[in-house]
Amino acid sequence: MTTPLLEIEDLYGGVAGKEIIKGFNLTINEGEVHAIMGPNGAGKSTLSNILCGKPEYYVSSGKITFKGKDLLKMSVEERAREGLFLSMQKPVEIPGVSITPFLKHALNSIRTYRGEKEMDTVEFVKLLREEGRKLNLGSDMLKRSINVGFSGGEAKRLETLQMAILRPDLAILDEADSGVDIDAMRIIGEGVNACRTDKTGLLVITHYQRLLNYIVPDYVHVYAGGKIVKTGNKDLAEELERTGYSEFVKEQA
Amino acid sequence: MSSLLKDVNLLGDNIPWLHDFRQQGRLVFADKGIPNAKVEAWKYTKPNMFLNSDFAWVNSENKTGYKPELPFDCYKICFVNGIFAPELSDFPPETEIMPLIEAIMLHPEVRERIGKLANSEQHNFAALNAAYLNEGIYIHIAEGVKINKPVCLICHTESGGILLMNNLRNLIVLEKNAQAEIIEYYNYSGEQKSCYFNNIVNEIYLGEQAKLEHYKVQDEAFKAIHLAINSIEVKKSASYKSFCLQKGADLARNESLINLEESCAQAEVNAVYAMNGWATLDITTDIRHLAAETFSQQLVKGVVGGQAKGIFQGKIHIAPNAVKTKGYQQHRALLLSDEAEVDVKPELEIFADDVQCTHGSACGQLDAEQLFYMKSRGLDEDIAKKMLIDAYLQEVIAKVDDEKVIDWIKLVLKLPEEN
Ligand SMILES: Nc1ncnc2c1ncn2[C@@H]1O[C@H](COP(=O)(O)OP(=O)(O)OP(=O)(O)O)[C@@H](O)[C@H]1O
Ligand SMILES: [Mg+2]
Repeated sequence: MTTPLLEIEDLYGGVAGKEIIKGFNLTINEGEVHAIMGPNGAGKSTLSNILCGKPEYYVSSGKITFKGKDLLKMSVEERAREGLFLSMQKPVEIPGVSITPFLKHALNSIRTYRGEKEMDTVEFVKLLREEGRKLNLGSDMLKRSINVGFSGGEAKRLETLQMAILRPDLAILDEADSGVDIDAMRIIGEGVNACRTDKTGLLVITHYQRLLNYIVPDYVHVYAGGKIVKTGNKDLAEELERTGYSEFVKEQA
Repeated sequence: MSSLLKDVNLLGDNIPWLHDFRQQGRLVFADKGIPNAKVEAWKYTKPNMFLNSDFAWVNSENKTGYKPELPFDCYKICFVNGIFAPELSDFPPETEIMPLIEAIMLHPEVRERIGKLANSEQHNFAALNAAYLNEGIYIHIAEGVKINKPVCLICHTESGGILLMNNLRNLIVLEKNAQAEIIEYYNYSGEQKSCYFNNIVNEIYLGEQAKLEHYKVQDEAFKAIHLAINSIEVKKSASYKSFCLQKGADLARNESLINLEESCAQAEVNAVYAMNGWATLDITTDIRHLAAETFSQQLVKGVVGGQAKGIFQGKIHIAPNAVKTKGYQQHRALLLSDEAEVDVKPELEIFADDVQCTHGSACGQLDAEQLFYMKSRGLDEDIAKKMLIDAYLQEVIAKVDDEKVIDWIKLVLKLPEEN
């Protein structure tokens, strides 16, 4: 039996007074991996931001249900505590806020929300080191300020590390592979897989088929003109890599 | 005549010098009174709007049961409700240190140093302070002596409904090559809304190559009034370094008037302010480069929420002969609410060539992208904001040399732990 994790129904919304998402529908069940591919500027990041509740992004109509609850009624932090995670396309630099205390607060906020015991510093640092090692982020990196001076690939590995620590039920990876070299892409792919259970859902936004070799999708969607215009299996990703989006963009025009 | 001037019986008034000094303060303050907004140096602060209660000096024994506690080892010199509390104090042995009034009586030579840097004619509140000259400490550190622990002046107020006025005057002298770390700590217990008035004057003399670290933490009742003048004379190659944490009050003002008198004298003024509610805080600096190759650096950062108001007036003066001088000034503030306000008045007076002098000021808000990022990982908005504020202030706090003092400052600021 399939249990829906995320249900997006007939969503319209956008940012800065501009409607970008126009009639978007998607259901992700527990354990499923969905990939979304689509042209630049189509609104993939806008969708991610709406899902996470980023302030300036608005929803004009439609419904989003996450684990049976109305996602749009929740604050940004509640969504995270309920188990939603976004690996951001452009992670922001936060000078002066070090990774270790930040992530410890994040993890403990989530644990407290779920009625679990807080993790103490010793235990947390151990966990962070272990997970960091898997993603090739040494303890020197973990002492630094969030994303400050990080290379593109390092920042994406740090996003993946946060996913590994926070263990979300649904993770959205918004171009976890952009600006990342071939080895790092494998490390990220393996890192994401390592923190999946048979219930974890994934929404993988990408421009390239390569990441999908590591994180194998059950469905691949083509997103253009504010909605999903085609759905297929993993072969669709390879096909898109050859043909591009011209067919879909023309259809929209 | 201002209601702040009352007839009181002060110790030692039979000593002509003391009588005259007080009398002069009294006359000047009676004449000039509390500055209003027409006085340029006070135009943002408007003390006449705040000092309208009937504050009075009260000479009472310490019956409060207050025990000074600090999370680090130091010599403590305590004043409770404006009165020296010897039973709570311990003096560094290698130093000449005693109540100022005792020094005036026993060592007439100190008299010429009192009122010289913080002059009654120029500073209305120094005049008021002079009129009540009675309490305060004299610290004299002899040539080449280094005090092994910080000396902490703790001013505790527990006014219990009385409109107390405390006029403290400290005289600190570091002779050639002497070194010290002096901390001022203003706190209170009892009701947040207890109303009292601390009027502080510090006159500090640094001899050749002397080194002073001067820290101040002001954590007072929100209805308190705290006015402080720090007047410092810095001789050849001597260094004055300050850090000040202020949490505001009904009205708080900290003035640093620094004369870099001889070549290679240095001053560093660092300050952090963090306020909420209706607090008002004014940080005023006036650094005078009077000799060649002098150096000054100011870094002030504030975080203002609620309807609080911050004021920064920073002046750098470079005299014609002060060639090869460097003077830097930076002020930054974070406004956490729509009604928070910060007024800034930088002033540069440069009369010499071949100098480097810069200033800058900026007010902004917490970065929405950063806040979103942190919350999207599950952090409470409050904790996320605190961490961002901590990061913002860290740059200034890191200027403090003494790590134990850094920890204490963070504690007073109630910033989240590092790990
Ligand atoms: N904060 C914003 N203010 C104004 N316009 C925005 C904002 N965010 C996104 N947009 C616009 O919305 C459109 C969709 O952008 P979005 O970032 O969602 O595209 P995308 O599909 O993620 O593209 P890419 O593949 O390049 O990452 C673009 O035209 C973009 O300029
Ligand atoms: Mg995008």
